[in-house]
Amino acid sequence: MTVLIVALIVGAGLFGIGLYGALSQTNMVMIMMGVELMLGASMLNLVAYWRYLHPEAYDGQVFVLVVMTVMAVEAAVGFGIATGRFRDKGSVEMEEAVDLKG
Amino acid sequence: MSVLWSAIFLMGGAYVIAVLESWFMTSRFRWLAPVAGLGELAKEPVIPRLSDRVFYESAPLILLTVPLLGFAVLPLTPGVIVTDLATGALFLNAALAYVLVALVMAGWGSHGAYAMVAGWRFLGQFVGYGMLVVMPIAAVAMRAQSLSTTEIVRSQEALWNAVFQPMGLLVFLPATMALGFMPPIDLPVAPGELAGGVSGEYTGPRLTIFRLGRLVLVVTLATAVTVFFLGGWLGPVLPAIAWTSIKVTGVVALMLAAGRYVPRLREEQVLMWSWKFGIPVALANIFWVGVILLAV
Amino acid sequence: MGQLIAITVFGLIALGFGATVFRTSSMVRSALALLGSMVAIGLMFLTLEAEFLGVLQIMMMAGEMTIMAIFMVMYMMDPGGLGQMDMSHQKRFSKAAGVVAFLAAAAMILLVDWGDTVDEVPAPDVQVHNLGLELMGRSLLIFEAAGTSILVAMIAATAVAIARRE
Repeated sequence: MTVLIVALIVGAGLFGIGLYGALSQTNMVMIMMGVELMLGASMLNLVAYWRYLHPEAYDGQVFVLVVMTVMAVEAAVGFGIATGRFRDKGSVEMEEAVDLKG
Repeated sequence: MSVLWSAIFLMGGAYVIAVLESWFMTSRFRWLAPVAGLGELAKEPVIPRLSDRVFYESAPLILLTVPLLGFAVLPLTPGVIVTDLATGALFLNAALAYVLVALVMAGWGSHGAYAMVAGWRFLGQFVGYGMLVVMPIAAVAMRAQSLSTTEIVRSQEALWNAVFQPMGLLVFLPATMALGFMPPIDLPVAPGELAGGVSGEYTGPRLTIFRLGRLVLVVTLATAVTVFFLGGWLGPVLPAIAWTSIKVTGVVALMLAAGRYVPRLREEQVLMWSWKFGIPVALANIFWVGVILLAV
Repeated sequence: MGQLIAITVFGLIALGFGATVFRTSSMVRSALALLGSMVAIGLMFLTLEAEFLGVLQIMMMAGEMTIMAIFMVMYMMDPGGLGQMDMSHQKRFSKAAGVVAFLAAAAMILLVDWGDTVDEVPAPDVQVHNLGLELMGRSLLIFEAAGTSILVAMIAATAVAIARRE
């Protein structure tokens, strides 16, 4: 019980740090690192729930695998966009990214 | 007890590999070559200006720790294994992935152009060999129906994996050589080209730890090839530990001979061979193993 | 008791490295601090007796975060952090958002009644076996969808990143 709560609190802390990073950084790659931290926090919560609430349901572990996939997909697409943007504009600073603004 | 035997095997293996390597590189057979190498310990350590001290100091230690962790899941005889994890084969992969981290840290932390180029080169090399380490191990685990390394050796009692799935060995052996940055795929240290590469800025005790880490890494890789493909301790007449030693020495000799007689590959050649040749072969190997397991 | 100590220590390591990611100005340090945080999360998985997931997490993050490091070096103006550039904006709002998110989650965690917790989990080899059956049985479609989305992402990323032809 205590272990579950400690794990969840750590997850909440990581999520807070990740959210701070994703909102405060101006560089696209740094924003992605914030998002990765938040995804890591969610994985931690999923494993903690699986361990202490429903160890007989392996869907929990499958869900963690799906989140890992999401991390990989996010990294791939993010780096693709970063590369494309760097080729076009010469920087990946998100303050300058206003092309889609109406 | 297992820990003691594993440590003795590891130290003996490192010594034998050091002797063999100096023999293959200089064509002179010297029993004391590794001992002479220890003279580096007495030399003055020079630390580059503006180096990233955290990375610079920890990289050799990580390079030494990681293969030790990987070695812990490899069985030498039926009883001698430090920890028999249920996910041993995957754990070996996970440990060896941190060789990349150690080299990138060493390259970046040294604050030298050659070292940094070499560190990022190893990242490029990793993109090439990474899949070729994982996929043959997946095929091996398919046959053993288990990720435990002991079970993997037991599954080869009737027939070694080298015969059962030769395509796996064909890609796994070069991939382990790339992982241990051995010639001809030694781009990260390339002595004739990058002046030592990632190890170029290291001197004295740190260089000794770096070289020792690399020797231990080579022992771990050769033992992994033996366990996954050459039947580990299995063999007639001789005791189990003798068979493991003979096979590991043979694998190391084969790797060093390749380094002696094959010219060094360039980065894009490594990538081309890995992606255009290695991955299709590894996929075909998985398919082959699946078909044989279902049909026989 | 040992489990509680281990999870606390690894949790503090994860939080410490996580905070380092946004405090250092050297980009490679930042990426490797994130790696440290992810490894600590993997060790927490091992402590929570999810051996397969822990080892998988530790293995996957090594490559991913090192690749992140090289992209940082490629696309940042000051990757070494020697110029002490400030690369952040709306700091107060972000800090407030982070703290509010943490406090809200923590309040939920402490207020909710978690009911009975389970003490025993299956042995690691049984877990791996059952996870495999789950992936190839009931969750097959989810697993396939994950694989397909990786394929789509690979093609999309290549298409976006490819150089324009004149």
